[in-house]
This record gives sequence, structure tokens and C-alpha cells, in this order.
Amino acid sequence: MYRASGRIMQQLRHRMPAPEGRLAVSLAAPALKTFTLRQQQRHEQVRWTATSTVSSKQVTTPPPRHDWNRAVSEAERIVGYPTSFLSLRWLLSDEIANVALHLRKLVGSAHPLMKTAKHLLYNGKNTMQAWGLIVLLVSKAAGHAPSVPDVEQDKSAGVLHSQRALAEVTEMIRISHLVHNSSTEAGQDAATYDDMSFGNKIGLLTGDYLLGHSSAELANLRNQEVVELISSAVRDFSESEFIGERDEQNNPLPYKPGTFQRPSLSVAVDFNEHDVMTPMPIAQVLGNPEQEWECRNILNAGSLLGKSCQASLKLAGQSEELQRHAYRFGKHLALAWQACLDAEPFQCPTLPLDTTFSLVSAPVLFHLEHDPSLYAQLEQGKQSVDNIDYDKIHKAVLAGPALAKTKELQRKHTAAALAVLQHFPATDARQALENIILAMQDL
Amino acid sequence: MACMSTSGRVVCGSRRQQTHKFLCQLFGRQSGYATAVSSSGSVSGAGSQLLPIANTQQYQLVRRFHGLSFNLGKDYLDLLQNAHSCSQNLKYSQCSKTNLRQHSSVHTQQPAGPVREIQIDPYIILDDELKYFYDDVRDLLQSGTSQPELDTIASYYFDGQGKALRPMVTMLMAKAINYHLNNESHQLVHKQRQVALFSEMVHSASLVHDDVIDQSDFRRGKPSVNALWNHKKVTMAGDYILSIASIMIARLRSDDVTIVLSQILTDLVQGEFMQLGSRETENERFAHYLTKTYRKTASLIANALKATAVIAQADDNVAEVAFQYGRNIGLAFQLVDDMLDFVSSTEQMGKPTAADLKLGLATAPVLFACEKYPELNPMVMRRFSEPGDVERAFELVHKSHGLEQTRFLAKKHCNEAIRLAQELTESPYQKGLQVVADLVINRLK
Repeated sequence: MYRASGRIMQQLRHRMPAPEGRLAVSLAAPALKTFTLRQQQRHEQVRWTATSTVSSKQVTTPPPRHDWNRAVSEAERIVGYPTSFLSLRWLLSDEIANVALHLRKLVGSAHPLMKTAKHLLYNGKNTMQAWGLIVLLVSKAAGHAPSVPDVEQDKSAGVLHSQRALAEVTEMIRISHLVHNSSTEAGQDAATYDDMSFGNKIGLLTGDYLLGHSSAELANLRNQEVVELISSAVRDFSESEFIGERDEQNNPLPYKPGTFQRPSLSVAVDFNEHDVMTPMPIAQVLGNPEQEWECRNILNAGSLLGKSCQASLKLAGQSEELQRHAYRFGKHLALAWQACLDAEPFQCPTLPLDTTFSLVSAPVLFHLEHDPSLYAQLEQGKQSVDNIDYDKIHKAVLAGPALAKTKELQRKHTAAALAVLQHFPATDARQALENIILAMQDL
Repeated sequence: MACMSTSGRVVCGSRRQQTHKFLCQLFGRQSGYATAVSSSGSVSGAGSQLLPIANTQQYQLVRRFHGLSFNLGKDYLDLLQNAHSCSQNLKYSQCSKTNLRQHSSVHTQQPAGPVREIQIDPYIILDDELKYFYDDVRDLLQSGTSQPELDTIASYYFDGQGKALRPMVTMLMAKAINYHLNNESHQLVHKQRQVALFSEMVHSASLVHDDVIDQSDFRRGKPSVNALWNHKKVTMAGDYILSIASIMIARLRSDDVTIVLSQILTDLVQGEFMQLGSRETENERFAHYLTKTYRKTASLIANALKATAVIAQADDNVAEVAFQYGRNIGLAFQLVDDMLDFVSSTEQMGKPTAADLKLGLATAPVLFACEKYPELNPMVMRRFSEPGDVERAFELVHKSHGLEQTRFLAKKHCNEAIRLAQELTESPYQKGLQVVADLVINRLK
């Protein structure tokens, strides 16, 4: 069933550029329309990226060697077909068709769920799809133990069927977290109250649907260590939403500088390898901008990617040592990715209209360390981060060393990820991972 | 946990019997039993005068009322039964009440006679398993996070005020099956207890998420979680409970148990989705309602019970008995719940009544009432959204036989559950399963 749906999707992809193909598809179920949209978007993206690279060429002297979209599509080819959660099976389920119907009612409202949905479908850097892809590439790069029976292998792609399912679970869990996180306080405003509470309801149910299905898929892998590990990644996601101070909408705020007086630790803090139940000991690093940022984002991203890579090698019967490398690779890659995303709003000299950034993103945390007086600006966000003058902070951060430090942070994790990769045999999958990392550096 | 050796049990048992004697005395004296639960403090105070019971025992005393508290508002139920010519029911429920007053508990060493003669209180025979139940859940939730606030929200509903119906039925079935298979190792019971923990945790996680969906302000007589914390945190706390429960189950290292239990989660969500839409025709409506009820309530009990059979390595037949028993109990439980939504007062339920109507949901009493009063149909279709709809529907349901019919349907499921329980080897736990069916149909909150 899964392979069949994958094939259909491949065929669709081939047919997509032809206008009649697109027409035929758009006549189908509404869910399929979304799918077509994404495909269209993807083609436009390629174009957009192409023009943007041209313009950036004029500014920066060395031409970018690595194109993101090319790196990703080549990588997708290596593992057979893209395993994105947007498989037909997923899209054509009753519940999702139901959600699509309900979502329509929310179009035009200011519910954050719409933003998340848009982000999922039209995300500029394909980061959503890339998560499952990374898991598959790591799986293929590591190979599997000779004891794995033939029937469980997808010979053409070089990964196991179970690993493919795990990649799907990884994306479902990530999206469920994003969707659960886009709920909002309905507030007292009568005009928007109904929209908001309805949006919350749909968002919550969609997230639960994804969680429920991922737990069923996980169970079918028949590997309890994997279930344990991935469940703990879900736990880490929920924990990440409780760390530090929050405004009334639960947006994170940094601690007041000087709240914590702790010596910086020489060793990076991470999970207890021997007991997945033990939470991240984050209290040890609060107040140290770099390590606090790392911990927050391990919980927020690195944990799932790292643990999925690790779990995938568990499924393949690989050694504990290689599993650890896989975890570290996923973790560092996610952190490098996050640093790159954090730096993005600060890449242009003025903040684009209607753009905001996280107040616990690396540049802000680094700047607070450099100049604690910025905290006075951030304090205005105690009630709602919307009260903050983002332009002012943007300007302040750009004037300081924070952006350079963020870039340094990204390089650190990129280098760490590349170094871990050396423990894997040289294959086309490993090469594809390297290309993705290098392309990310140039984004 | 408490000692499981036979000698330990005998001692325990005899102490319990004393407690029961004392309980029975109390019951005899207290005519206004309706206040017993609320005045449990004074009850246990009186207990220390009558019998030298240790302080820890007093706490258990309070807990045991759960199994017995179904005398409230019996007039109303009697009325219901009379109206539906269930005179047999009436006689039976009265006699079971008197029985309960005389013998609240029977223990293992007492060879079981006919069920109707000796009543068993399931909460008492499962005391070993249930005594520290909520403490164990709280410990588990605490061990998984470094964030005190997350811990607080996640354990908010594990305050010991719930009925603990799911864990109780799960453990009863577990022990009945172990008896049936003649395999009662401590290790096995411990694993089955993890399933019971899972069932209560999943239930609680669904309550937490339901609170966000329904925007309710009260649950179990206290402010609901979404009234106290912001939505994101509440949602995340629900996810957290699920993840911890999944880790715990994964540690049982049984592929089949994980598969059976994961079915619960998909069913729960599908049930919620079914509740969103109600555009079916009148004929399909009842089937839709029953499927929704199975997925939202019964699946949890049915699959948890099945999982205890799977752990005990019972054959497929026994697993099916466990599953079907749970399904019937779950359906009956929800049917009664839907009926009580029209009957009880807010005080008794700890949550507002006619809540389902206010949420736009047409439950069994309304669907039955539709047969007599077709004017309800358009209201069902518009989810009681127009002013006056809720009040009018409430009135029509009471005018019709909707409540009796709902109760009758619930009764049928309970009888089926009793029949299924009788397929297992006779044991106090097997009898307990039959008592549970009575508790479910006669419960008032």
C-alpha cells in the first residue's frame, strides 16, 4: 500500500509540469488540490531561488557552490522517492479531508493555525519535507545488519520498509507539534472569539490525529526500544514549551540577564544515554547564552531528528556506537539548521514589514550577553510579545557582534555534523547529506 | 507494592472484614446516606472511636465509598424503572443494595457462592493494586520532566478524586484472567497494572485536551485546566502525559500489547472527529452515535482489558471475551453518562448538566426522543444553536421515553457484559466483573 501510493506520487510528480495533468488532478478531491498547490509552489520556488541567486551573485563575490533545492532533490532520488508525510494515503484520509473542509472556514481569520498551514505547504526551504529525508539518508548511509531478512528491505532504495515508516512518523510528530503549538488564547474579543476557539479545536484535533497515527505506526514497527525513544522525543517537545519565562500567549522570553550565576560548563549538556525517561538537565545551563540556546533547541528540534536517526539504525540492527553517531549527527544538523533560521531575519539591514523573530533566538540571546540593557526593551513583551518594538531590537542586534556569533554557532554545529558523518562509510547517501549541509551553510 | 503472599492476604482480609462490619453499622445508622461522601471526614473520625484503625486505614475507608455510592436520588431511578415496567430491575437493584449493606466484601479464601447472594466490592478486593495508584501515576509523571509547571498541569486530574473506573475494571479483568489461566505471578500482575496506569493516563490526557476543545470551566468539581493555564501549555501537558504513558508501555517490551493499546489513541481521535460533524440522515444517526461512543469511550476500556489478556498470554478466545466485556461496559457507561447529563444536578456530576446539548451534541436520549417528537430533528441538525433550542430539547427529552430507552439499552449492554464475564472461571474477580456491570447501570455520578 505504502509503496503503491509512493509510486502514484512519483508519477504525479512527473506529470505535474504538464498543464493537463494539473487540471486533471485539481478536479479530484480537495485534498489533492493542496497537493497540486504544493507542487506548483515547488516549481515556483525553484524559479524564485534561481533569480535570487542571480541577484545575490551581484552582491557577494563567491558564487554559491551548493544549491539547496538541487541538493534536496538529488537526495530524494537517492532514497527512492520523497517520503514526505504528504503521501496520498495521508492526504486522502477522511479525517484530513474533514480538516481541510473546516480549515476553509478559518481562511481570512487571524488564527495562527492558518500561518502554520501556509508554512507547511509553502515553506521556502522545504525544511518540513527534509526531516524524513534526513532520516532516510542516514539509514541508507549506515546500511543494515546482514541479519535483516530480504522481505523487509526496499532493495531499490537501499533502506528498510520499517525505516521508511519511521521517517514518516518523524514528520508526523514534528507537524503535530507545530500544529499543537499554533493554538491561541481566544481572549475576550467577541468578534474573533468563535474563529479563535474553532481554530484551536481543529488544530488540537489535527495534532492529536497525527500523534495517534504516529503511535499506531510506531507500534507496528514491533521494536519497543524505538517506541521508547520516539515517545521520549514527543516528551521533549512538550517540555520545550515550558522552559523559561513566557508571555500570556506562551511565547518564550529570555531570562533577565544576571538571573543565573553559573560557571559555563566545559562539556555540552545532553540526555542521559541510558535512561530515556530522564529529562534534559537544562537547569545547569540557564544563563549561559550558547548552552541555553543549545538545550532549548535540542528539546525543540534536535531531540526528534537525533532520536529518529538513532532509532532508524536500531531498526537496522546497527551497533550502539553507530546509533550514537547517528543521534549526534541528527542533533548537530538540527542545531545548525536552527542557527541558520535564527540568523535569517537579521540578514537584511532593515527588518521586513510584518516580520518578527523569536526573542530566544541565538542573535537576541547573544546580544543580551553583550549588552544587558536591551532587556529593558524585551520586558515590554511580558504581557504579549506583540508589544515589542522589533525594529529597535533588530537594529541593536545588527550593531553588535551577535550575528557574527550566531554564524559562528552555525559553523560549529555544521562542522560537528560533518565530522560525525566521517564515521559512516563513503556512499552516495553520505555525499547527499554533506551536500545538504553545505547548501544550508550558503542559504 | 503491598505484599502478595497468602499469609499477608489473610491478615489483610480479616482486618478488612472488621472494617466492613464497621461500615455496615455505619450504613445502618446513617439514614441520610446522600451526605456520606461529603461527610467522609466525620465518618472516619467516628471510625477511630469504634475500632482502633491506623490512620492510613482511614484514608482507605474514604476511598471505599466510591464503590458504594449509588443510593442518591434513587427515587428518580425507581420512577424511571416503573415507567418502563422494569419491575424486575427495581426488585433486583433494591435487593442488591441491601446485600451491599450487609457484605461489602468477600475475600479470596472464601469460596464464592452464587453472585447474587454475596456482593463483592471491586474497589476493596483490588485494594492492593489501587491503593497507591494515583501516587504511582504522579511519581511517573514527575520523573519525566524537569519543569515543575508541566508536572503540575499533567498531574492535575490525578488527584484521587476520580472514580478510577478504568483502572479498576482493568485490574479486575487482569486478575480474573490470571485466575482463569491459573497463572498468578506477582510479575504478571505488575505488568497488567502498568496497563491500568496507561488506561487512566490516556483517559486523563483526553480530558485535558477535551477541556481545550469544549472550553469548559469546571470538571470534577474544580476549575478545569484550561481555566487555569494557557491553551498551549494545556495542549502540551496532554501530549506529555501520552508520551510518558507510551514510554511506560514500551518498557513492557511486548510488541502485541503496544499494538493493542495504540489502537486506543487512533480510536479516540477518530471519535472526536466524528463528534465534529453530524450531517447524517436520521437512520444513520444512531449508528453514528454508537460508533462514536465506542471510539471515544469503549475502545479505551475494551483494548486495555484485551491488553491484560495478551500480557497473560491468554488465547484469542479469552482475549476476545476481555475485549467484548470492556466494549459492553464502556458503551453502557457512556449511555448512562449521557442519561445522567439530563438527570443529575450540577453538584452531583461536578460539571454542568445538559452540557452535551449546550455543546450541540445529540446523545442517545435525544435521538430516542426524536422518534416521538420529530420537531427535534431540525434542532439536532443545527446542533441546538438557536436560542431556546437547548431548553426545548431538554423538556422534550423528559416528556418522551428517551431516558428510559437509553437506560434500557445500557442495561442490555450490561447484561451482555455479565454473560461474557461468566465465561471465565469463577473467582472473586470474575464476580467483581459482574458487580461492575451493576455499578455502571446504577451509578449516579
